[in-house]
Amino acid sequence: MPDPLASPPAQPGPAVPARPPVFHVRGLARRYGEGEAAVTALAGVDLDLYAGELIVLLGASGSGKSTLLNQLGGLDSPSEGVLEYRGANLAAFDEAELTVFRRDAVGFVFQAYNLIPSLTARENVALITEICRAPMVPEEALALVGLADRMNHFPAQLSGGEQQRVAIARAIAKRPEVLLCDEPTGALDVRTGITVLEAIERINRELGTLAVIITHNAVMADMADRIFTLSDGRIVNVRANARRAAARELKW
Amino acid sequence: MSHLDRKLLRDLRGLKSQALAVALVMACGLAMMITTRSLMLSLESTRDAYYEQHRFAEVFARLKRAPLAVRDQLAAIPGVAAVQTGISMQVTLDVPGLAEPAVGLLNSLPERGEPVLNRPYVRTGRLPEGRTAVSELAVSEAFADVHGLKPGATLAAILNGTKQTFRLSGIVLSPEFVFEAPPGSALPDNRTYGVFWMPYRELATAFQLYGAFNSVSISLAPGASEGEVVAAVNRVLAPYGGRGAYGRENHPSNRRVDDEIRVLQGLSVAFPLVFLSVAAFMTNAVMSRQIALQREQIAMLKACGFSNRQVGFHYFKFSLVIVVAGVVFGIAAGVFLGRQLVDMYHLFFRFPELGFILDTRVLVAAVIVSSLAAFVGVAGAVRRAVRLPPAEAMRPEAPASFRPALVERLGGARWFSPSFRMALRNIERRPIRSGLTCLALALATGILIVPNSFRDGVAYVIDFQWDIVQRQTVTLTLVEPGPARALSDFKHLPGVVHAEPFRYVPVEFRSGPVLRRLAVQGLPERGTLSRVIDASTVQIPLPARGIVMSAKLAEILQIRPGDEVAVRVLEGREREVRVPVAALAEDFAGMAAYMELGALNRLLLDGDRISGAHVVVAKGRWPEFLDAVKNTPRIAGCVIKDAIREGFRKTTAESIGLLQKMYAMFATIVAFGIIYNSARISLSERARELATLRVLGFSRREVGAVLIGELVVLTVAALPLGLVLGSGFAKGILAGVNTETVRLPLVLTPANYAFAILVVATASALSALFASRKLAEINLVSALKALD
Repeated sequence: MPDPLASPPAQPGPAVPARPPVFHVRGLARRYGEGEAAVTALAGVDLDLYAGELIVLLGASGSGKSTLLNQLGGLDSPSEGVLEYRGANLAAFDEAELTVFRRDAVGFVFQAYNLIPSLTARENVALITEICRAPMVPEEALALVGLADRMNHFPAQLSGGEQQRVAIARAIAKRPEVLLCDEPTGALDVRTGITVLEAIERINRELGTLAVIITHNAVMADMADRIFTLSDGRIVNVRANARRAAARELKW
Repeated sequence: MSHLDRKLLRDLRGLKSQALAVALVMACGLAMMITTRSLMLSLESTRDAYYEQHRFAEVFARLKRAPLAVRDQLAAIPGVAAVQTGISMQVTLDVPGLAEPAVGLLNSLPERGEPVLNRPYVRTGRLPEGRTAVSELAVSEAFADVHGLKPGATLAAILNGTKQTFRLSGIVLSPEFVFEAPPGSALPDNRTYGVFWMPYRELATAFQLYGAFNSVSISLAPGASEGEVVAAVNRVLAPYGGRGAYGRENHPSNRRVDDEIRVLQGLSVAFPLVFLSVAAFMTNAVMSRQIALQREQIAMLKACGFSNRQVGFHYFKFSLVIVVAGVVFGIAAGVFLGRQLVDMYHLFFRFPELGFILDTRVLVAAVIVSSLAAFVGVAGAVRRAVRLPPAEAMRPEAPASFRPALVERLGGARWFSPSFRMALRNIERRPIRSGLTCLALALATGILIVPNSFRDGVAYVIDFQWDIVQRQTVTLTLVEPGPARALSDFKHLPGVVHAEPFRYVPVEFRSGPVLRRLAVQGLPERGTLSRVIDASTVQIPLPARGIVMSAKLAEILQIRPGDEVAVRVLEGREREVRVPVAALAEDFAGMAAYMELGALNRLLLDGDRISGAHVVVAKGRWPEFLDAVKNTPRIAGCVIKDAIREGFRKTTAESIGLLQKMYAMFATIVAFGIIYNSARISLSERARELATLRVLGFSRREVGAVLIGELVVLTVAALPLGLVLGSGFAKGILAGVNTETVRLPLVLTPANYAFAILVVATASALSALFASRKLAEINLVSALKALD
């Protein structure tokens, strides 16, 4: 049995046979600041993520999960290490290339939803579909998250769960390869949280999107293909679920 | 419309009052720029077309008398294209309805055909024809307007001692008399001074000048040197009593028009620039705040794949909308005001037609300048926003670090209430922002000073010129300089209480290449009527040797007291002498030079002579006095001081008053705009903190006190700075309108300062009131929840 601390599992997730990973990461490190004030957020992370997987990143606050997610999403560049997206060296992308990468390949869901308050649900989605290559129509994306009938409401007129589902619709409308969710249920109650997770699960299953979810709620690990646990900027544990639980079966 | 633009429009709706405030400030600057520049263009192009069509001459000369044959000599000068000779005589008029005698300048019209140069424009009626039963005259429009003269009216003139009645054939204008003022005067006096035209034969015959001329106008061939032609003309005319030829830039009417254009030029740059800078600053403040509020939205846009350029351009568009609004308002207001103001010029300038011409080049420049101002204003904020890595921007801004304010650290804490302390700490925490707000408030105060300093300057000039300098009731001029004993004749006119003689001699001052033609006035050493006054309003006793001149003249000639100046006497026995400059006099209209009467006469070498007298007339005997003056043929002119003062009030003062009102209105709008905006931004920045205070149990009043306290501290700090700034602006702008014909002194009155303070204080109070109203609307729960 390989040491999970030293390296990621040799075999990819159970559902996927040997095929090229979406993300290929080796020795990824991210430091902020210089000299004595330097803070190490990531201290050598190795992992491979595959299409169609649902990944959960667990860890205490400050463990480096958000930093890792930002690296994967092209929001930030690594200090050192290998960061490849479909064989392309993401670490070497310049600002313009990263923008294109985010625009075409990545869907983000944030804990604070980050909707534009002056635009309706449909407009918030349309804002993004306008700049993508082959997006869904906003209505379709909103239907996927169960909001077909709330399309013309402004964020202030929607509940937290609804707002987060609009954010998911916004993220998936571009048909991204990767859906990156940073504490998507962090601000929600259990029942609402589950509807949001169901939406993510559905996208992952129906569109085959690689979904990476950050949480500190260990219960959510049950719905993942693989669970990575981070501590002090390193992956300290990796496990795979033989069977993924459905989001609606989760309880916390 | 893209959804990002939809967001823009909806966000702007929330910002509408602030955006409107910025747009209005910008509009004020643009309107001023467009108005003044368009007026410049209107004047310039109207003048140029008029000069061209009516063949305004380029070189002018007066002389005693030359036979017509000399004309050919002049025409033969290399560089001369056309020569127009004629007769020009000053006569005394008896105008129906006017108690005092008026002075008319009679100009001859050629016997056959139109004049070659300086062709009159006939407004109504026709030019006079010779050999009519009653002699005919054409009259200048300015004079006709004041006296309500129409073609067919009659008036009497004393030609060479003979009173003759004339019928007016028509009302005309001439490029030579766009601005019509008595010789040597910078101010129009259309009541007692008019210009007339009559056929050569009649005018020449009356003055025994038939077959001769005493005035000449010349146009130049392309490429000819004016200087060389002037010198040649002087040589040709010297034997005939030539009084020195001069070019257009010394032509009184032309120079007055040029000066007006120069004044507009001065006003068209500095003041609008201040306004546009203020608008740029306000755009920056509004946009910085807006971007700070939308930090998370910017991060989301970038995370979702919007490029820096797209995000940056989105925020630039905010200011673009403001610019468009500002430009639209600015152009509308500029055109409207320009149309109103162009009519004002009819008070001074007589053109066949003076219409408002919109300067489209300045329009383009205005759009560019204001766009730049707005972009410069917003660039920094946008750059900061797009530079922020999305991951960073997603987190709320780190809480600001506070510390006790300086005054508290110095031990002043116990003097202040907690809310006032919060206000002080807030100011000190963001020194640049506070400094800029303070500066904006100071600018608002400062720009209010400028227009009112114009008004006070005019009031001062009126008092100074006609109370301190001139104390006579009337100035009487002899037809020809006469012996000194003529003074006693003046003294014996009915009602005359006191009379002081003066001599008036046309001269040419020269200093290096600079040359100015005006008159030297000979006055008693310590005259009590027409006095020579220095900058500290103390009378300068005229020295037995040397000359006293306007400070402005000395500036132009680049000489100082103690230097010698070359003076060429253009009357009687022409000669050039060097005279030391004894002192500088303060005056505001035109330029003048003074000498002690005896000293001047010694210089002229033609004995004790006087040109006329300044007299004080007893009030009750006024009609009797005027009657006597009218019936004294030796008296050519009678200038009533109060009439001149009134003329000034109605023309110069009124036009400056119009500009002043326009600027004061703009300045008030800007002051309100700046202050309102500052209050809005301050409110927005602090909504969360203030809501927290409310939740913690502070009353609305106490919370309002924090916000208002900040505004009060900044306003109080800004006011003195604003007064200093405003005084500087006023000085700078007045220097820009300081010309040879009109100058305004820098007069800063407590009333002016008080008005500025009052406006700023009122605007602050209203803004504070508004802010505290808004404070009541803050929903405590959502203010605490939401990040904005």
